[in-house]
Amino acid sequence: MSAINPTLAAAPPRSLPANAFAAIAKHRVLATVLFFAIFPWLMPYQSLAINILIYGLFAVGFNLLFGYTGLLSFGHAAFLGVGAYTAGILIAQYQMPWWAAVPAAIVAGCVVALVMGLLAIRTRGIYFAMVTLALSQCVYFLIYQLPASGGENGLRGVNVAEVSLFGLKLNLLDPLQKYYFVFAFVALALWLLSRILASPFGGAIEAVRENEARARACGFDIERTKLLAFVLSAAFCALAGALNAIHLSSVPIETLHYATSGMVVMLCLLGGMGTYFGPFVGAALFLLIQDLASGWTEHWQLVVGAVFVFVVLFFPNGVWGTFLQKVSHDR
Amino acid sequence: MELTFDLVALQLFTGLALGAIYVLLAVGLSLIFGMLTVVNFAHGAFFMVGAYVGLFAAEKTGSFWLALVIAPMVVAAFGMACERWLIRPLYGRGIDYPLLLTFGLSYMLVEGVRIVWGKSGLPFDTPELLQGATNLGFADFPTYRLFVIAVVAVLLFVLWLLIERTSFGLIVRAGARDPVIVRVLGVDVSRVWLLVFGVGTGIAALAGVLSAPLQGVSPEMGTSVLTVAFVVTVVGGMGSLMGAVVAGLLVGVVESMAVLIFPEAAKVSMFVIMAAVLLIRPQGLFGRAGLMA
Amino acid sequence: MTADAIIETRAVSKRFGGFKALTDVSVKIRPGVLTSIIGPNGAGKSTYFNLLSGSFAPSAGQIFFMGRDITGLRPHEFAHTGIAKSFQITNLFPNFTAIENVRIALQAHVSRYGLWRRRSALAGLSEQAVALLETVGLAQRATHLVRELAHGQQRALEIAVALAAKPRLLLMDEPTAGMSPEETKVMMGLIRRLVEERTVVLVEHKMKMVMDISERLVVLHHGELIAEGTPDDIRANDLVKRVYLGQGRH
Repeated sequence: MSAINPTLAAAPPRSLPANAFAAIAKHRVLATVLFFAIFPWLMPYQSLAINILIYGLFAVGFNLLFGYTGLLSFGHAAFLGVGAYTAGILIAQYQMPWWAAVPAAIVAGCVVALVMGLLAIRTRGIYFAMVTLALSQCVYFLIYQLPASGGENGLRGVNVAEVSLFGLKLNLLDPLQKYYFVFAFVALALWLLSRILASPFGGAIEAVRENEARARACGFDIERTKLLAFVLSAAFCALAGALNAIHLSSVPIETLHYATSGMVVMLCLLGGMGTYFGPFVGAALFLLIQDLASGWTEHWQLVVGAVFVFVVLFFPNGVWGTFLQKVSHDR
Repeated sequence: MELTFDLVALQLFTGLALGAIYVLLAVGLSLIFGMLTVVNFAHGAFFMVGAYVGLFAAEKTGSFWLALVIAPMVVAAFGMACERWLIRPLYGRGIDYPLLLTFGLSYMLVEGVRIVWGKSGLPFDTPELLQGATNLGFADFPTYRLFVIAVVAVLLFVLWLLIERTSFGLIVRAGARDPVIVRVLGVDVSRVWLLVFGVGTGIAALAGVLSAPLQGVSPEMGTSVLTVAFVVTVVGGMGSLMGAVVAGLLVGVVESMAVLIFPEAAKVSMFVIMAAVLLIRPQGLFGRAGLMA
Repeated sequence: MTADAIIETRAVSKRFGGFKALTDVSVKIRPGVLTSIIGPNGAGKSTYFNLLSGSFAPSAGQIFFMGRDITGLRPHEFAHTGIAKSFQITNLFPNFTAIENVRIALQAHVSRYGLWRRRSALAGLSEQAVALLETVGLAQRATHLVRELAHGQQRALEIAVALAAKPRLLLMDEPTAGMSPEETKVMMGLIRRLVEERTVVLVEHKMKMVMDISERLVVLHHGELIAEGTPDDIRANDLVKRVYLGQGRH
């Protein structure tokens, strides 16, 4: 499946906007972090900004697997959920501090991904979507039945009122401070993502996406590469889950639903797969559509579905992806 | 719970009836994939729409039997329209796009049903003729479940005839969306795509109508059944009808028997089977190794 | 390690379901020699070629490379043993540029899972990539995308990518497929240069080209080895003449 030209940063710029754009692309981490530093003031209310960050991070993790490696998973709700429930249970029921619970959530997500990946990657490409869906449904059933998870009602009491690290204190009851708490993690994650994409492994996953048979003939171990991408992807999603648990002070059971897996696919496609900033655009768009449409009608899902079908048919590169293509049209 | 012979036999039988529905779903999915290389993520939605259309038809005509015929035909027609206008434009674009489209379509179908029939589930009465139990000599079995098994068996036989004995079936068996191979046989390939998608979704709709008296209808019934359809397909082997039959029955029976022995594990039992198959024979019980990149 | 064979198949057979594509083929390919595998359609050339390159394992028999038993090695491991192949249908990374194609192939032998360093900083890869492009005559087109290259140039890029593995044995599947006579001549010149530093095994249909360029020939028919030797040996071989004559090759 083809994606945006991955070497956008190396494209010879011609016009002034394209010039400016290439400069931004080269320093994408800095540009994105600066943008999100001022983001709360661009949004009507802070919790929308936080949601965009968290959903965006979820989509970023998914995008690493789908947009960059070319593997379509329909089970990523499992990682969001495992991250959320792990952090939630550790904080609410074991009084673990946030700085231990969040890393633990990431580790849990990676472990689940390792198990799921070992099973799912053995099959050929087209099965992958089906197997990941099925396995994440399994995770849903297992967690649902766990007494600690609260079952249908979800997990309550994930209360982190105050956060202090190295003398800096943040009161998480203030939405703006809570935003910056989440922002710190997202900024770190974005930096790590950029390093991964620029690394030799980043080259390997794009080779797998572009032509798996050719990558294999070159000497890449396709199964191991996919598995590592799967686990890394899950790490980002588990982090998003943990942050969401702290943000909402709870974990709804819907976090593990198939619909959540479907949502992240939509976010990625709406924004633009295989682009660095696309997932956040997708998240913002989705939340915006959801907000607007549910103002009109309780059947906003019909609108979302229709928009998605429209995008698949006519704008497969997503909003941000199409924009990027327009800017570098001389390629 | 005391495991008497009667109880086990009844549960086994329930499992077969459940499995029969699963088989129908997996067969439709496999047909669509085999011919169009599309994993139909809307398959559960078509199942659900079939059930609702069946409910509507049964209420309007007063006949379950008519509903059983009308619903699959209506849904098949709708399915064919979807193939022609929504899915076909995406064939050139890589294997993931048609899948994504069917996923978006499922969203719209579920919400569409909610708009027309409301969010909560509706009951579906078992037709009078099929209520109660029938004595098969050694035990009494619910008549409706017997009916379901019988219908599925007949349909599978008809399908088998269609696939093994007609030129349409020849094309389906040749598989692949390769117009060159198919045109050599002198057939308009796009018509075959249309028909296969219609048959596949029609079968899903039939499964929906058949399952309605067992569990009622609800907009969410398609989602849970989609997972099962996928599991059965992975276990049986994509593209294999025999695999769909064996795997469907296996999953149905294991799930029902698990309710007797270890109820908490019943829902998860199918995943255990799938995991085992993935570890030991990833192409599925009847799948061919190396099939499908 | 036998000096007389760089790669050797011993009694190798391959079945696909009920169909036996190769039966008992035992061949020793000599090092530094350009060997071509020929035979009529359906002879099993592609299957044999795929066995040599590791795309799949034989159903029976063994394969030795430089004295080492490599039967059943996983496909991606073949690239690390010193065997590389260029595909019959151009098989490149479509959205990468020419130099990126070669660079990633080079990278596979340096770092596959490195997560921390920048791959653009990996020592010498860019220079090596440029050198390889020069070998195949594509240095001017380094920053062009694959789809911007002419067919013959794409085939040349295939070879550059295969050479990135620094192979002792280069397998080429119909390297001149779909090429014009001029492009074919250029390719033949390239192949002759390549043989100077490594062993090359070709599968080809164009008989004139094969006879011109090969030092040894291996003839397959219905999955069996029917003859082996120099072009003169093969031209004089009655069985080969019976099997081949009248097939109308160019």
